Amino acid sequence: MKLATVQSAPAASRRNRSAVLLRIATAAIAAGAFIADTIDPNDISYPLLYVVVVLLAARFCYGRNLVFVAAGCLALLVLSYLISPPIGPTEDALLRMSIRGTVIAVTAYLVLQSQSAQAGEREKAALLDLTQDTIFVRNMDDVITYWNRGAAELYGWSAEEAVGRVTHDLLKTRFPAPLTAINAELHSLGRWDGELVYTKRNGSEVAVASRWALQRDRQGNPTSVLETNNDITERKRAENALQLAQAELAHVARMSTLGELAASIAHEINQPLAAIVNGAGAGLRWLDRQPPDLDEARQMLTRILKDGNRAADVIGRIRALVRKSPVKMDRLAINDVVLDVIALARSDIERNRAVLRTRLADDLPPIQGDRVQLQQALLNLVVNAIEAMRDHEPRELLITSGNDEAQNVVVTVHDSGPGLDPETVGRIFQSFFTTKADGMGMGLSICRSIVEAHGGQLSARPNEPRGARFEIALPREQAQARHAADTSKAAALTIPSYNA
Amino acid sequence: MRVAIGARLRVPKLKRKAVIAVVDDDESVRETTKGLIRSVGFSAEAFGSAEDFLASHHLGRTDCLIADVNMPGMSGLDLHERLAGAGKTIPTILITAYPNERIRMRALNAGVRCYLPKPFAEGDLLGCLRAALGNGTSSC
Repeated sequence: MKLATVQSAPAASRRNRSAVLLRIATAAIAAGAFIADTIDPNDISYPLLYVVVVLLAARFCYGRNLVFVAAGCLALLVLSYLISPPIGPTEDALLRMSIRGTVIAVTAYLVLQSQSAQAGEREKAALLDLTQDTIFVRNMDDVITYWNRGAAELYGWSAEEAVGRVTHDLLKTRFPAPLTAINAELHSLGRWDGELVYTKRNGSEVAVASRWALQRDRQGNPTSVLETNNDITERKRAENALQLAQAELAHVARMSTLGELAASIAHEINQPLAAIVNGAGAGLRWLDRQPPDLDEARQMLTRILKDGNRAADVIGRIRALVRKSPVKMDRLAINDVVLDVIALARSDIERNRAVLRTRLADDLPPIQGDRVQLQQALLNLVVNAIEAMRDHEPRELLITSGNDEAQNVVVTVHDSGPGLDPETVGRIFQSFFTTKADGMGMGLSICRSIVEAHGGQLSARPNEPRGARFEIALPREQAQARHAADTSKAAALTIPSYNA
Repeated sequence: MRVAIGARLRVPKLKRKAVIAVVDDDESVRETTKGLIRSVGFSAEAFGSAEDFLASHHLGRTDCLIADVNMPGMSGLDLHERLAGAGKTIPTILITAYPNERIRMRALNAGVRCYLPKPFAEGDLLGCLRAALGNGTSSC
């Protein structure tokens, strides 16, 4: 099946010359056979030279032309007989001639058949060269026996260079699983597909989607492996870049939400600091009195202690929020998450003169979740609600918790803003969709990702009598455990990389 | 004896004990500010919102008002302007956790005596307070 794909000019002219010589030699043998047969009709060996003529002609005559050559040979055979009939009985002579004729005809027939089979092979091989995919065949010792044009172009070795080499030595294959496991699958199923990394001739790596098919002989013994590969390096690079970009965006979105809250954070810290400074000043004065007023001083010190802890709590919450922490599933009471978020958003709420009301159910089952992530998701909804109400009086923010019919734990953020535009409500959870002049459109899409990673759902609907309502529904602990088990099963399918 | 003299020096001599109203929605700031003012010998009352203060019977006998700017409902500046509009101007000190130059200018133009970012130094607040109580025209 090996094909010569490249021809240099001198090689082509050499081939032309030898083709002409072959034709002359063939004609000379035919003429010699005719002359010898005519001169010495009783020698049975000369007409067999016509078989040689047909076989030689098969090198440059195909199909109908070869039929003409064979017919010509038969005509010369008959002509010799007519010019100088052999000595002996006519029946014997005719019988001999018909045997010779049959041999020539059968030879021509077999050659024609072989020619058409070869043409089929050539067409297939040409097709294999036409495809963009790289295709090669290797025997059971992994030695390459066929190498198409696509393989030559992708990997950099020509067919002449690649054929005869051991595949995984040549290409320094990196497998997604141990080779023995891959071969076991190949032999049991007859095929394998997966992603491989090959090293090209120039030393660069190429990722391919590879499909292997095991070929067997009639006895069922494996004979070779057909391998087709698609270059997916670009796709992999794009995928990796996309993943990286998404992680970056998530971080940027988190940080910009924080940026918006930076002023509020300063406020969160400055309030207890102001109280501490005032309290310390007052406490010192009560102690300086004659006699010292210990009760008043104690009251101030108690306040200082409380506000010192309050400031520390604020710092702790911000730290947890900023850290790019891995997902940490804990048993959580959703109301605690709500109270965390209210503490974080309180100054934002006040600054925007919104009135916050809460209605938290006190008998809710626990959930499994990442406290910081859920805080983020809910904080984002609260900040959105506050922003939505900026130009709408009165500004009423209501946060509720409870159960729904499916026994999910539900937190809802209600606002009294302009509400949701029916035309865009379907797109608000998409990345980069925003109605804000300075928004990135990542907030809600990240919120939804977080909620869905917890096996829950984030939905939006109009609020009564006005505004919007965003609802986080999370499965209660047991239902969530099942979801987590499914997720970990899916994660176990990710195959580590092995080197060949 | 020296302490007693010092204490007398710090407390302005007034016919009656001056009454200071502290209006802040943050309980800690409200109570410690009240404590600080009481510790220097003034009488202080604390209110959680401007509305509460307006509704109280202390309104008529308040000598100085210390109010937070950022509160739900009526802000400290709104409160000052409303009192001024009604002809019941009380010397006012505004305190805020969101210092903002535009609001500071607006406040000082509206006759507010001091605009203090939180956390503020004790001396700054007491200085403002004395100025507000001692001389109706002084400002800080």
